[in-house]
Amino acid sequence: MFEKLINESAAKSPWLFHINAGSCNGCDIELVSVLTPRFDAERLGFKLTGSPRHADIVVVTGPVTKQSLPRVLRAISQVPDPKCIVTMGSCPQSGNVFKGSYSVCAPLSQYVPVDVDIAGCAPRPQAVIEGLALATKILKEKREQK
Amino acid sequence: MTMVLSALEYLGYILIFPGFLFCFFVGLLLAGIDRKIVAKMQKRVGPPILQPFYDFFKLCGKETIIPAAASKTTFLMAPLVGLAGLVVLQMFIPIHGWAAFSGTADIIVILYLLLIPAMATMLGGSASGSPYAGIGMSREMVTVISCELPLVLVLLAVGKVAGGDSVTFSFSVISDYQLANGSLILHPSLIPAAIAFLMIIPGETGNHPFDTAEAETEICEGLLAEYSGAPLGVFKLAHAVKLLTLSSLFVALFLGGVGTGIIVIDGIILVLISIVITILTVSLVHAITARLKIEQVFKYYWTVVSGLALISLVLAWYGL
Repeated sequence: MFEKLINESAAKSPWLFHINAGSCNGCDIELVSVLTPRFDAERLGFKLTGSPRHADIVVVTGPVTKQSLPRVLRAISQVPDPKCIVTMGSCPQSGNVFKGSYSVCAPLSQYVPVDVDIAGCAPRPQAVIEGLALATKILKEKREQK
Repeated sequence: MTMVLSALEYLGYILIFPGFLFCFFVGLLLAGIDRKIVAKMQKRVGPPILQPFYDFFKLCGKETIIPAAASKTTFLMAPLVGLAGLVVLQMFIPIHGWAAFSGTADIIVILYLLLIPAMATMLGGSASGSPYAGIGMSREMVTVISCELPLVLVLLAVGKVAGGDSVTFSFSVISDYQLANGSLILHPSLIPAAIAFLMIIPGETGNHPFDTAEAETEICEGLLAEYSGAPLGVFKLAHAVKLLTLSSLFVALFLGGVGTGIIVIDGIILVLISIVITILTVSLVHAITARLKIEQVFKYYWTVVSGLALISLVLAWYGL
């Protein structure tokens, strides 16, 4: 019974940890706007946490600069399982306009398994909510497989 | 035979009614209502009222990471000690004159037991070996010291009024006095003390604007920075149970005469009053204030709140 309760709850209480990997701040502002009264992602149980140890979903923004890459990997490895990695914006997927720069390590999927990509520069809040809702489903699947 | 029966009775108290199960459900319910009311005040839809239950069960299913720098036993035991302290405390608080445990000086026991959850978070946080937890620990200690002085003054004022000639430290005397003479909140000299106690509740539970020890945006949730999985869930549960404990303490101290004498109905009345107190002191305050600095918390409690409690104490001492 407890196992079932835990599996059900896994999709209903996703806590976010936000990593800025050299982002221009555009995606960061869009992510915050998702939590504001207008879009109110907290109705789905989303909550921004301050520590990666509390998180279920890691949201990475920015083109993953060379300076930030080791820190990003280290922060992601601090997140307890089951976890879900979401990239937000075009930068961590492809490098966007920074592609080819000597100081940019995008795409992030070379280094860690990425579960959900939210495209856009910056993505609309509706797209962000859809991506995060998809991530909660993946979280539940991961929990059930365990 | 009677020994076995009374042992079973006490086990029931500890596990079910004023004990663990009651604390678990009502505490998390209060936390859920708090989150919903804050959301409504910010014109949001807000999470479902059962959200803290989902959070708790989800955390039970997560991996528990123990940091390399941590002292393992203290790190894992601290949340359980904190929760156990609160559950024991709940059993000392009378519900319309009935308490699972009682004694001649149970108010002093309650003062010490109220410290245990704060002590447990401090111990667990400092055992985690994180610098964020170190900052959080020093702030938590200041918050506890700030709340302690007005709390003691309030309890002294109540004890003086209920005890008559001498100050009483017994809950049964206080609840008998209220059954005979009506609730103490209607006693003119105790009105400032009641307001002071309501002001202590957000500080004692670590809610806005006094959550400097767990400031998630500046020190990564401070004491809880290294916790994950089930121990974190138990800390969140203890935090929710504290809402119930402090509001039932308020009911026992100031609203004692309200009730019927039937324990089930009194329990429901207690839950309803706790909801009102939580909304008034925690949710409304959370929605309209921003986090204070630690020295402002200290100053506020030792001037405004202690001042109110002191007025009550002086009035009570002159028998007004």
